[in-house]
Amino acid sequence: MKTLFVTFLLFVALVAQAHDKKFEEAMAKQIQHVYTAEKTEALQAATHALDRIAQAEKSRWEPLYYAAFGYVMMANREPEAAKKDGYLDQAMERIRKAAEASPNNSEITALEGFAHMIRVTVDPATRGQQYSALSMQAYGKAIQQDPGNPRALALMAQMQYGMAQFFKSSTAEACTMAQKALALFEGAKSESPLTPAWGRGMTEGLLAQCQ
Amino acid sequence: MKWIIACLFSSAVAAAQTPVRGRVMDGEGQPVPGANVMVKGTYDGASTGVDGVFQFVTYETGPQTLLVSSMGYASVEKPIDLQGAALVLDFSLRESINELESVVISAGAFTASDQNRRTVFKALDIATTAGATADIAGALNTLPGTQKVGESGRLFVRGGDGHETRTFIDGMVVLDAYGPAAPNTPSRGRFLPFMFKGTSFSTGGYSAEYGQALSSALALDSKDEDPTTRTDIGLLSVGADVAHTQAWKNGSWAGKAQYTNLRPYMNLINQEIDWIAPPVSTELSTAFRQKVGTRGLFKFYGNADRNQFSLYQTPVGDDATKEALELTNVYRYGNATYAHAFGDRWFWRAGVSYNLNENHVDRAAAGLRERETGVHVKSVIEQTVSDRVEWKAGVELIHRQYSARWQAGQSGVRVQGFTEPLWAAFAEADVYASKRFVMRAGVRSEYQALNQTLGVDPRASLAYKVGEGQMSLAYGRFRQSAANHWLRSDSRLASEKAEHVILNYQVIKNNRTFRAEAYYKNYVDLVKFQSATAQLPNAFMPFAQPLLNTGHGFAKGFELFWRDNQSVENVDYWISYSYLDTQRDYLNFPAAAPPSFASAHNFSVVYKHFVPAIKSQLGLTYSFASGRPYHNPNFAGFQNARTPSYQDLSANISYLPNPRIIIHFSCTNLLGRDNIFGYQFSPEAGADGHYASRAIRQAAPRFVFLGVFITLSKAKGINQLPSL
Repeated sequence: MKTLFVTFLLFVALVAQAHDKKFEEAMAKQIQHVYTAEKTEALQAATHALDRIAQAEKSRWEPLYYAAFGYVMMANREPEAAKKDGYLDQAMERIRKAAEASPNNSEITALEGFAHMIRVTVDPATRGQQYSALSMQAYGKAIQQDPGNPRALALMAQMQYGMAQFFKSSTAEACTMAQKALALFEGAKSESPLTPAWGRGMTEGLLAQCQ
Repeated sequence: MKWIIACLFSSAVAAAQTPVRGRVMDGEGQPVPGANVMVKGTYDGASTGVDGVFQFVTYETGPQTLLVSSMGYASVEKPIDLQGAALVLDFSLRESINELESVVISAGAFTASDQNRRTVFKALDIATTAGATADIAGALNTLPGTQKVGESGRLFVRGGDGHETRTFIDGMVVLDAYGPAAPNTPSRGRFLPFMFKGTSFSTGGYSAEYGQALSSALALDSKDEDPTTRTDIGLLSVGADVAHTQAWKNGSWAGKAQYTNLRPYMNLINQEIDWIAPPVSTELSTAFRQKVGTRGLFKFYGNADRNQFSLYQTPVGDDATKEALELTNVYRYGNATYAHAFGDRWFWRAGVSYNLNENHVDRAAAGLRERETGVHVKSVIEQTVSDRVEWKAGVELIHRQYSARWQAGQSGVRVQGFTEPLWAAFAEADVYASKRFVMRAGVRSEYQALNQTLGVDPRASLAYKVGEGQMSLAYGRFRQSAANHWLRSDSRLASEKAEHVILNYQVIKNNRTFRAEAYYKNYVDLVKFQSATAQLPNAFMPFAQPLLNTGHGFAKGFELFWRDNQSVENVDYWISYSYLDTQRDYLNFPAAAPPSFASAHNFSVVYKHFVPAIKSQLGLTYSFASGRPYHNPNFAGFQNARTPSYQDLSANISYLPNPRIIIHFSCTNLLGRDNIFGYQFSPEAGADGHYASRAIRQAAPRFVFLGVFITLSKAKGINQLPSL
């Protein structure tokens, strides 16, 4: 009987492990797609796949986070204002849910700031004030939650760079911040394939502009 | 052991695969690309292609649910049984009604909001319109449907008098929305545009929720909690203000103190008015917001101000006499609202507001003390039945007390006044037949306890999408208690009533808006003097003539609006034109005639240009109003003369040297045109049988304003631009 019980536990553990493995594999595949998709259809397919994982894995924040990231990227590519807003609404809904699953998560907060930042581009004249403030605030909060989050710093640098350009003031502060972000990117160790790893290219691009 | 085998067995079964494919179409049989099709609770699924086709393989078995979702459509679920045999399933999705693509009711309505993305007019537009001097009414005066009445500053809509436009803050009535002004000079709105996240200006056919407004409803939506702690300082050529906002996790508090003193300015720039002491005002306002749990929001807004001025008046035709007039106005407004969502479908909001307005006017030996208080209590329940049907219903009580007390030398004190409890209930439903067609039907019932009358007013509108644009039609009946200065002398006066019919066409595409609107308005039960020879009352004497509700009138016209924010980079402009034909037979009119506040043609162009090279926004506003009728007793007939046309070219510039500072300069009437709003005549003819006259002019040819606005905040990139 005892052996039977141990066998059973072992079996349960194996099943659970198999499940975790399945989750990680599925996630890793779709995350890769979201990062690298060139065509909008491919980006949408990956985002949808992440949405499917999210509805199956209700307690995990990662699928919601990456699905939201996918929608932000789709919004970023979309030229039509109404659709852009639609994608950003989808992103915000997932960001909210992700933050419920994982409170005080710096990555989620930084992504929220990113979504607000894209919102500005829809209509900078009337949205600029409200959403750039929301965006900066989210980045500030994300840095507070995890000073080692390179994305929070990189996005804030991006935003500051844009504002400095607008006001024709010095971009030095933004560039120093981007430099710091790059150092964080270099020092970042990937704990798991699910750890967010995007944003380095963007930072390098910004630093190239800083030159 | 047995059930381990069973487990292994079942996992072996799970390895069997079922191909699933099919097509997703919309209600009109068109393919829906980019829909997400999934086996609920699993990772399995696929997106549809451009042809609406999806296809995937699942390892799940047994009874499952297939879920199809797509942005802009209602999700659909279908039970399936996965047994290894290929499944072919077709879906038809019903479009969900959402604000981005669906038709909206646009007849009569101009909405300015940062939240709603399909608006013609944005909150920031109010602040940056040249000539408006950051006054809400001033900016709205550049929209079609309004008539420029330069000596009033109020909103005159479609042949309606200024008091026929009612202001609401968060749905709560505001009894006296304008500050006091010297006779024949424009008054400013008491509420600053920076407090509001949205402005909905309706020139007719508005919702059953809004009562006590004959011509127009101006609904202001105050901001929700402010997320940033900040201090704003404004140094103005006519005073100073300081504001502080403190934000915490789920709430915020904001306070503002403003001091305005026109004395140095009036001494510097010669004025038409013979001031003894030009206006000085102090205003304190505060806003408190607190989220209650995750679903409730409590808001409080309070405003207290005090205005004072004194001047000399010279009676028309008697230049030797100078009469001192002194006015003190005390105003308090408080408004508390609570909104709560129950589940996804039910929403409850309730509020209470308090108004106090006191005027102390002294002229020579005569004095008038006027005091009005009002309490408004309201509760509204809303339900979203589905994405196609929503309704709301509410009850309210508007309780007003008014008194006027005259003191005339030795002749003693006379008092007139009334207490008016007004009960109202309303219900309204919006029904979408499709994305293209929406209907709104509502009814409002009011019980006027003062004269014990029960009124029932139907309101209805519909909108239909035609190609890129949409047509709207609205009808409604509206009522409003007679103005205080009539009601105080005869509290049995019935409410004045109006009927509106509006036909509207609107296209919003690619940051360009075109609107055309035609309307007909019918007035009945307007206040009228019983005696044809009765004179308009003097404010310093109680009015004692009998009044009737036999007045009537009409207004009809059409309006055009074009706005383009797209064609030229950094340029935004709009053009409005309104045509109005109106006549009324009311008050002392001997017959139906156009009233003095009505001009037939109103035209305005607002131009805003952001110039990045100088970090500045430049604004220009040109306004034109054709001559207004007035009555010249020296000639035969009634309303027998017309003033010259009104024209004004105003400019402003906002310079942003850095993200924390804004320098704002504005000047009205650049060309210095001598606008004449009307004429005053002496009450009695002179010895030669001629009535002396005097033109009502602008107090000064121009108004020049300079302000420096500084924002101190830890959050970067925040300035006062939205509040300018």
